[in-house]
Amino acid sequence: MSETAPIWIDPLGDYETKVDARSAPTNAFLPPQVPWDETTSFKAKLHRIGRLRYYYKWPGHGSRLWWRTRYWPTRRRVLDIRGEYNRKTSRREKTIVDKRPIWWAMAFALFAVLPFILPQDTWNTVLTAAALMCIYGSINLAWMLIIGTAGIFSLASYAVVGAAAYATTYAAIQLGLPWWSLPLLGSVIGLVFGVVIALPALKLDGLYYALLTLGIVELCRVYVIQSGELGSATGGLFGAPSYVPDWLSPPLRQMTLYYASFALMIIALFVYRFVDGKRLGRLLKMAPEKKEAFAEACGIDFYRARINVFLISSTFLGFTGGFYAIHFGGASPNLFSFDTVLLSLSMLVIGGIGRSEGAVLGTVIVVFIDRVMIGIGPLRYVLIGAIMLGVVLFLRGGIFGIKTQFRIWRAKKQSENRSSRAEKGGEMLPEEATETDNKDEIYRRRFDKAQRDFLKCLVTDTVIEEHRTRPLGQHSEALERLLIYFRGQTQVDKYAIMVLEDFKAYRIVGLSGRRGTPPRVVEDRTYPNANEAYHALFLRRVQDLMES
Amino acid sequence: MAELKIFGYADKISVKPGDTISFFVHADGTNAAQAQLVRLIHGDAHPSGPGYIEEEVSSPINGTWRVRKQFTQVGSFLTVDDPQRRLALDGPFTLCAFVYPNKPGHSTRNCLLGRWDAFNNKGYGIWINGDGVIEFGYGDGKEVDYLVTEVPLLKNNWYFIAASYDPKTGRATIHQESSANRYNSLLGKVAGLDFRSRVRESLRFRPDNPPDVPFIVGGARDFHELRGHFVTQCFNGKIDRPAVFNRVLTQAELDAYRTRLEYPSDAVVALWDTSKGYTDKGIGDDVVDIGPHGLTARGYNRPVRGQTGFNWNGHNDCFRLAPSEFGGIEFHADAMIDCNWEKTKEFVVSDLKSGAYAIRLRLGDGKGLREEYIVFFVRPRQPKAPIAFLAPTGSYLAYANEHLSFDAQIMQPLAGQSPIVSEIDIELYQTREFGLSCYDSHDDGAGVCYSSYRRPILNMRPKTRIAGMGITWQFPADLSIIAWLEHKGYDYDILTEEDVHREGLGALTPYRLVLTGTHPEYISEQILDATEDFVAWGGRLIYMGGNGYYWNVAYRKDEPWCLEVRKLNSGMRAWQARPGEYHLATSGQKSGLWKDLGRPPQKVVGVGIISEGFDSCRPFRRMPDSWHRRVDWMFEGIEGEILGDFGLAHGAAGGIEIDRYDLSLGTPPHSLIVASSGGHTDNYQTVVEEVLYPYPGLMGTYDYRIRADMVFFTSTNGGAVFSTGSIAFGQALPYANFDNNISRLLSNVVDAFAKDGPLPASMWTLEEKQWR
Repeated sequence: MSETAPIWIDPLGDYETKVDARSAPTNAFLPPQVPWDETTSFKAKLHRIGRLRYYYKWPGHGSRLWWRTRYWPTRRRVLDIRGEYNRKTSRREKTIVDKRPIWWAMAFALFAVLPFILPQDTWNTVLTAAALMCIYGSINLAWMLIIGTAGIFSLASYAVVGAAAYATTYAAIQLGLPWWSLPLLGSVIGLVFGVVIALPALKLDGLYYALLTLGIVELCRVYVIQSGELGSATGGLFGAPSYVPDWLSPPLRQMTLYYASFALMIIALFVYRFVDGKRLGRLLKMAPEKKEAFAEACGIDFYRARINVFLISSTFLGFTGGFYAIHFGGASPNLFSFDTVLLSLSMLVIGGIGRSEGAVLGTVIVVFIDRVMIGIGPLRYVLIGAIMLGVVLFLRGGIFGIKTQFRIWRAKKQSENRSSRAEKGGEMLPEEATETDNKDEIYRRRFDKAQRDFLKCLVTDTVIEEHRTRPLGQHSEALERLLIYFRGQTQVDKYAIMVLEDFKAYRIVGLSGRRGTPPRVVEDRTYPNANEAYHALFLRRVQDLMES
Repeated sequence: MAELKIFGYADKISVKPGDTISFFVHADGTNAAQAQLVRLIHGDAHPSGPGYIEEEVSSPINGTWRVRKQFTQVGSFLTVDDPQRRLALDGPFTLCAFVYPNKPGHSTRNCLLGRWDAFNNKGYGIWINGDGVIEFGYGDGKEVDYLVTEVPLLKNNWYFIAASYDPKTGRATIHQESSANRYNSLLGKVAGLDFRSRVRESLRFRPDNPPDVPFIVGGARDFHELRGHFVTQCFNGKIDRPAVFNRVLTQAELDAYRTRLEYPSDAVVALWDTSKGYTDKGIGDDVVDIGPHGLTARGYNRPVRGQTGFNWNGHNDCFRLAPSEFGGIEFHADAMIDCNWEKTKEFVVSDLKSGAYAIRLRLGDGKGLREEYIVFFVRPRQPKAPIAFLAPTGSYLAYANEHLSFDAQIMQPLAGQSPIVSEIDIELYQTREFGLSCYDSHDDGAGVCYSSYRRPILNMRPKTRIAGMGITWQFPADLSIIAWLEHKGYDYDILTEEDVHREGLGALTPYRLVLTGTHPEYISEQILDATEDFVAWGGRLIYMGGNGYYWNVAYRKDEPWCLEVRKLNSGMRAWQARPGEYHLATSGQKSGLWKDLGRPPQKVVGVGIISEGFDSCRPFRRMPDSWHRRVDWMFEGIEGEILGDFGLAHGAAGGIEIDRYDLSLGTPPHSLIVASSGGHTDNYQTVVEEVLYPYPGLMGTYDYRIRADMVFFTSTNGGAVFSTGSIAFGQALPYANFDNNISRLLSNVVDAFAKDGPLPASMWTLEEKQWR
C-alpha cells in the first residue's frame, strides 16, 4: 500500500452501526475515457476483404416446384444440392455440395468417346493402353477396397487375379469352356483363394501380413514359371477362348476389347460403391487404424466386416482374372511379378488411398506413362518413381487429397497470420469479422478490449486489500468497476464457488455455460469460509485480467 | 453400482389430518430408503442462528421404503385419441400445419406431427431435422424414405408447412410457405428473405402404419427396454391448426387453407382447431378436432395455449378478443409439469400438529444427494389457534428448481457476488427431468410460464441456500418465521396459499392474525381478494417480507399444483412474454404485475417493492412517527433507535428485496412509517417499474427512495396491517437464539394483533394540539 494512495470514503459510512465510518485507501481516479482515446486505430495493417462472385450461383426455386430426381431405384438424389441463404445478402442460393458425380459423368463420357477422338497415329497404342488401364483400374479398385476400406495391407491381389487367370485358362483348355463362363469360374476361384489368404489376416497385422502376401505372390510366380503344365516353356499359358468374334475387322476388335474392359471397370466401380458406400464400408470407417478398440467397444465387429470386404474383393479379383484370360487369351507370369505389384501400388498411392477416383486416376497416369510414353524408354519408370516419391513426400492423400490438404494448409497460414497480426483478446480484424454472424459480438470485443485495458490500470495492492477486507458490499470506485466487469462476464468458464460443507469448506469452480454441463473444478484448494472463497475467486479474476 | 441419489415429491402440498397424501420417490443405486416423518422448525444452518432444527415424529410411515428408479417424460406435446386408427393413413394423404420454430436445427430432430414410431422406424411424420430443414418421411420398419425442403427454417418466423403423399404414384410433395406478417414474426419484409420452398420426389416404397402408434403433435413415439414407451423428438415452438386430409390437396386448396383457413370438408380426416374451446376463464389441455371423427388431441406437460397464431395481426391483444388469431400452441422439449412417477407410498395424515412437515428420506450416510425432504404442510382439522402462518406456496413454485446462477449472465452483477453452488444445485442443473422455474428460460429461449410441485423441488427443502445470493430463500427462509413462532410458544396454525386460493376468505377468517412468508411474490386474484377482504373484515395481517403481492398468477381449479405467470413489459423479470401473449391461458386474465392491473401491493399492505440487492443488508432505524402512541407500544422493551443490525441474511434485517411506502400507489393515507432501513449499497437499484427514464443515481447511495419501510395502518372492523417491507427481516428473527430487538418488535406486534378487541392505544386518534 503506497502512502500516497488517495482515500476513498464510503458514502454509507454514516449508516454504520457497529464500526466507525468506513474509508479505504484506493487508486487515483482514472477516467475510462483514457484507453478509448488511446485506441483510435488498429495497430495491424488492414486489408480489403471480400470475394467476387465470379461464377454463376443458382437462385432458389422460390414458389416454383422443385421436382427432384433420384437414381432409380435408390433413394439417392441425382445431385446433393444444398439450398441456403447467402450470408452477405440473404439471397436464396443453391450449392452443389458434392460435385463428384459431375466429374465422374464427364470422365465416363470421355472414356465412352475415346476411340472416336483419338488421333490416327496413336490410335492403336492408346486404345490398347486404355483397355489395359481399365483392367488395371478394376484390379486397383478391388485392391483399394482391401487396403483402403478394410485396412488390410495385402499385396496378394495380383496373386488372386493371376491364380484365377491361370486356373480358368487351364480349365478352358482342358474342358473347352465357353468364354463367358471364365469370369464366373474365376470368381469362384477368387473366393476360395480369398478365404485362404484371409485367414492369416486374422492373426497378422500390417507389415507382417504384407510380407506374407508378397511371399504368396512370389510363390505363385515361381510356381507358374517352373510348371510345364502352366506353360513354363511358352512364357505363359495361352489358349483361352476370346470374347471377341473372329470376324471383326482389327479396328473393331480393338474397340470391342476396349469397351469390354471399360465395362469391367464400371462393374468394379459399382462393386466399390456398394461395398465402400454401404453398411460394410461405414462400419469400417468407424474403425480406422489404431481406433479399433473404440469401434469394438461401440459394438462394431470390425474383424468380420474386414474379412467380408476382403472376400468380396477377392471374388471380384477372381472375376477380373477370368476376364483377363478371355481378354488376353491366357495368363502370363508377369501377373505375379514384383514390378506389376509395385507399379499397381504406385497407382493407388498416386491417386490417393481410400477413394475410387484415386484408384482410377492413378491407374490412368501410370499406365499412360508406362504404355503410351513408350518413346522415352526405361526412363519412364524413373518418371513413375519420381511422381510416386513426390506424392509420398508432399501429399498426404494422393492427388485427390490435394484439396483437403490445401485447405488445411490455408487454415494453418490463416491462423499464423492472424496470430501475428491480431492482439490476443483484442479487437476483431476484418477477416475475423466476416466470420461472425452476430455483428454485435464485434463491437462487444472492441468494448471489452478497452474495458480491460482500463481496468488493468485499476488493479493495485490497495484495491486487492480493500476487497479482502470486504468482498461484498459498497466498494471504492476502482474496486467496484473491477467487480462489475468481472460479474458481468459471459457464463462460459465464469468462476463460481462450490460449497463442500456449509460455512466450513468452499472451493472454486468454473461454470460451463452449457446447459446440463456441470462446472469444472479449477483448483483443489478449499477455503474455510465464503469470504475467503470470494477473495480467492477475485484474485483469480484479477490474474486472468492481467494476463489477457 | 450407480451413485446413490434420492429424489421425491408429493401429490399435495397442503393436507389436513385424515387426508391422503401420496409420495413418489426415485432412487439411483438402491431399492431401499430410510424414511422418517419430520416436523420442520428451522431451516437455516447459519451459525448466527440456532442452526437447523427438525423434530422427528413417530408415524407408521417411518421405516424402510422400497424405492426404485423412475422415468420422467420431459417435453410437451399433444397426443391424439384415435381408437379407430383413422390416422393410420394407408391411402393418399396431406398433412399440414402452421409452424413457428423456436430453435430449428442445432443437430436435434423435432417431430412436428405424425404417427411415427422412432424405435421401429415405422409410420410417417413431418420433422424439422438436425439441419433445421423440414423433412417429410415414412418408414416400413426396415428403411426410411424422406424428402426435404430447400432451405432451413429461420427461428421465430411463422411458416405454413404441408406434405402430401400418394401411394399409387409414390410421389411426395412438401410445401413451405411464409405466414409471416408485419406483427407475428421475428423478421420483417425489409430483410427480403424468401421463405418458400416446394419440393417433390418419388419415394421408393410404401409406409407401414403399425396399429398401436399414437398420432402426436410435437413429438414421436419411442421405446426403451426398462422404461417402455415414451415420447421423443419433442418440438420447440408453436404449432397452429394442424390438419390431416385423406387425399393430395392441390396447390389452390393448400393456398386457400393457408390464407383463409378454407378447406375441402370432404377430405378432412382431422383438423384441430387449436383456437376452439377457449373460454373467458381460460383454456384447458384438450385441442378440439372439428373433423368428422372428433379426434381430440390432449396436451401433456402443458403445451402453452392461447399464444399468438399465424394470423395474429397486432390488433387484438388477448385470446379472449379474437380466439381465431390466438391458435398458437407452444411446445418445449424441456417442459416438465408432472413427473407422473409410480406411487411409492401413501399416507393418511394422522392427527399431527399443524406445521411444516417433510418425509425425510436417506440413503447411506444421508448427506448431499443421499438425503431428500419431501415437504408438505399440515393444516389443523379445525382451526383453533388465533394465529396462522400463510406459506407462500405460489412463490415456492415460481422459484422451484431455479437455474439462475448457471444460466443467467445477469445473476452475478444483479446479486453483487459470485454464486455459491452446492452439489445439489449441480445435480439439478444436470437433470432435465426436474424441470425449470419461472425464472428460467426454456432451452429454445422462451420464458418458462408454468411451474408445478408434482416433481422434486430441490430448493423447497430445509437447509437449502439459494446459490446466487448466498442466503436461504423462500421455504427455508420462511422456516425462520415458523421457528420464531415455535420458540415464542405461540399457538399457531399453518395455511398455504393453495388453501386460500381454493377457499378464499373462508380460509383466513378463523384467525385473528395472519403472518405471510418472507417473499409472497406470486399471488392469484383469489388470494389477493381474500387478503384484502380479510383485513377489511377485521383481520390482522403481518406482511413479513419484501416484494410481495407482485405478479398476477393463476391456477386451474382442479390442478392447483401448477402455476402460470407471464412476465410482461414491466417489473423485475427474468424473461419477457412475446407481444400478444400477456394473458394467462389458465384464467384469461392479463398477467404481469398487480401494479399494472391497478392493484399495487401498497394498496393491500401499505408498501411495495422499490429495490433489491443481495450483497448486503442494512439495519432499520426508528422513524419519528414511531413515537406516536398509536404505535410506540411496538417498541416496548427495545432500547435505542437501531433495529436489526444483525441477521442471518447478510447481517441485517433490512434488505434483499425491500418495499417502500408510496401514497401515489395506494398506501392507505393514515399509514405510519414506524421504521426504515437506509444506507443501502449501489447494488440496490431502483426497480424498473418505478423508472420512467433511467438516469445516473437510481441506486442505493444516491436515491432516498431505496429503503425498506415498516408500515402500520388500521383497517375497518378492527383490522390492521403491519408490514416489515424487507425479506431479510424474517432471517433476523433467529439471531442470538431469538433474543433480539427484531424478535421483540415482532412479539409486541403479534401479541397485540392476536388479541381479541381493539389494538393498544387505538383511541389516540384526535388531531394533536401541540405545545412542542
